[in-house]
Amino acid sequence: MLKNILITTTIFFIAVIHSQLRIEIKGGIEDPITLAVVPLEWNIELTQRDYVHRIIKSDLESFGEFKVLSPENMLSLPTNQEEVFYKDWRMLGVDYLVIGSISSTEIEDEIVADYIIFDVIRERILHKGNVIGPPKTLRKIGHKISDKIYSRIQGIPGIFSTKIAYIDKPSAEDQNYNLRISDVDGYDSLSLFSSPQPLMSPSWSPDRENIAYVSFEEGTSRIFLQKLTTAERRGLKLEEGINSSPNWSPNGDKISAVLSKSGNPDIFTYDLNLDEWTQVTKHFGIDTEPDWSPNSKKILFTSNRSGSPQIYEVNIRSNRIKRLTFEGTYNARGRYLPNGKGIVFVHRRNGIFHIATQNLKTGKIRILTDTFLDESPTVSPNGNVVIYATKDGDKDTLAGITIDGKTKFIMLSIKGEAREPAWSPLID
Amino acid sequence: MNTTHKFLLTLMVFFLASCTSVSSDRTNDATAISATASGAYSDTGVTSNNVLYFAYDKSDINSEGRTKIRTLARLINENNLSVRVEGHCDERGTREYNLALGEMRAKTVTELLIINGVSSEKISTVSYGEEKPVSSGSNERSWSQNRRALVKTF
Repeated sequence: MLKNILITTTIFFIAVIHSQLRIEIKGGIEDPITLAVVPLEWNIELTQRDYVHRIIKSDLESFGEFKVLSPENMLSLPTNQEEVFYKDWRMLGVDYLVIGSISSTEIEDEIVADYIIFDVIRERILHKGNVIGPPKTLRKIGHKISDKIYSRIQGIPGIFSTKIAYIDKPSAEDQNYNLRISDVDGYDSLSLFSSPQPLMSPSWSPDRENIAYVSFEEGTSRIFLQKLTTAERRGLKLEEGINSSPNWSPNGDKISAVLSKSGNPDIFTYDLNLDEWTQVTKHFGIDTEPDWSPNSKKILFTSNRSGSPQIYEVNIRSNRIKRLTFEGTYNARGRYLPNGKGIVFVHRRNGIFHIATQNLKTGKIRILTDTFLDESPTVSPNGNVVIYATKDGDKDTLAGITIDGKTKFIMLSIKGEAREPAWSPLID
Repeated sequence: MNTTHKFLLTLMVFFLASCTSVSSDRTNDATAISATASGAYSDTGVTSNNVLYFAYDKSDINSEGRTKIRTLARLINENNLSVRVEGHCDERGTREYNLALGEMRAKTVTELLIINGVSSEKISTVSYGEEKPVSSGSNERSWSQNRRALVKTF
């Protein structure tokens, strides 16, 4: 009842100022899941006492599906199972409760976070777990717990331990282009590669160990692969003209990309074992922006062969090409949703570039964003969220929207002027 | 104990175990390493007046541009210069598509230079798409300056 009143009095557009993401919930989520995360019991000598539960709170509130109760609104602060009284939490309208503790293990420089997720309505334990790691990985520990809470309640994987790769353009502070990675909340940003010449189009290997990208460091575009842990780099065989738009195949042995050596941009694949290019499309127009289908059988691409940029799909084995978009005169940079049933892409309407989705079965287009110059959409590995490049005033920045269009957020914490986000796979 | 009993017991043990099982995850502090482009290409060459401008989403050159290229071609041949043609775009449209559009602009200029007698061996082309704007605003004033091809002579 209380919740209903709250919802009906919620104004149409609420803006929540967050520590890391500025979240705007459009239209209001009708029924967010209410969660209470009690500050963890702290059995070790570490100063950041209330850190972990705050990370969990901001993780889970990121996409509007959860409302997380603050400790000052709790009637008790249980740290073990015996201290949990379901009635108290039901009174507060809480659906799920999380408690836990942080302790040291027998191993030096290692801590363990034990936690329990309670289903308050059904009065039972939903999940018991722990996360073990070095004390300096507290943020990661928090993200791991968030992932487990998310997956146990929502039934799909949580994405709080994933990474975002992006390109950071030169600024007054740094004259270089940077290829950066950060946590999905924008924190822990690190430059992987820095160059005075442009960098473009990052793409993760499916094992998350390498990133492919375009670098102009040699005075022309060339595709490089870089191993994250060693910074070891490998340039793909350079061809005349454009060498760009790398996209890793789902099984990791090939890269699809764009070469213009035949006179105009076409889609090619690169065999990483043979160091060989194979041509996939052959047309006098522009073919670009390839993306492998989740089952590896098809490649999505943009082509202006009909006169305006539209999205097509090529079957790699038969080379049969199918046009997918028909609405409007600019549909480009498509990415498959992880289930392969839809695509997300850039759609121009009345001169404005939106992020849109299209159901591949019905062909129905849905416009997700309404800002001016939105581009480079990347889909979370659980299929629930799209992050894209946009403008915050004059500044290039990253923003996100849930695939249902209900929650929109701007990643304020992201370092530099960010563009071309690429969401990492799930594996850690 | 017969097999059925044994089976039921195993099933029960398994069932209990799955009820009380505790998931365990690990974190590590492995961090990625940074690298820097060493000996990267640096922009040299003379561009002074050698800029051609384009209409939105177009790669054709107007008569004023053609005149400019004719003069340029003469200069290049007289002084036996090498040429690098760079194609650029404004920020509208997707980055990779603009990279392709920038190449079309560079190629149009290259073809006109060749028509005007410059040897194709002396010309190299590159597209930077929308990656190197000269003006940063999101308005027609900036966009019209960014839709360009540069002819750099060496």
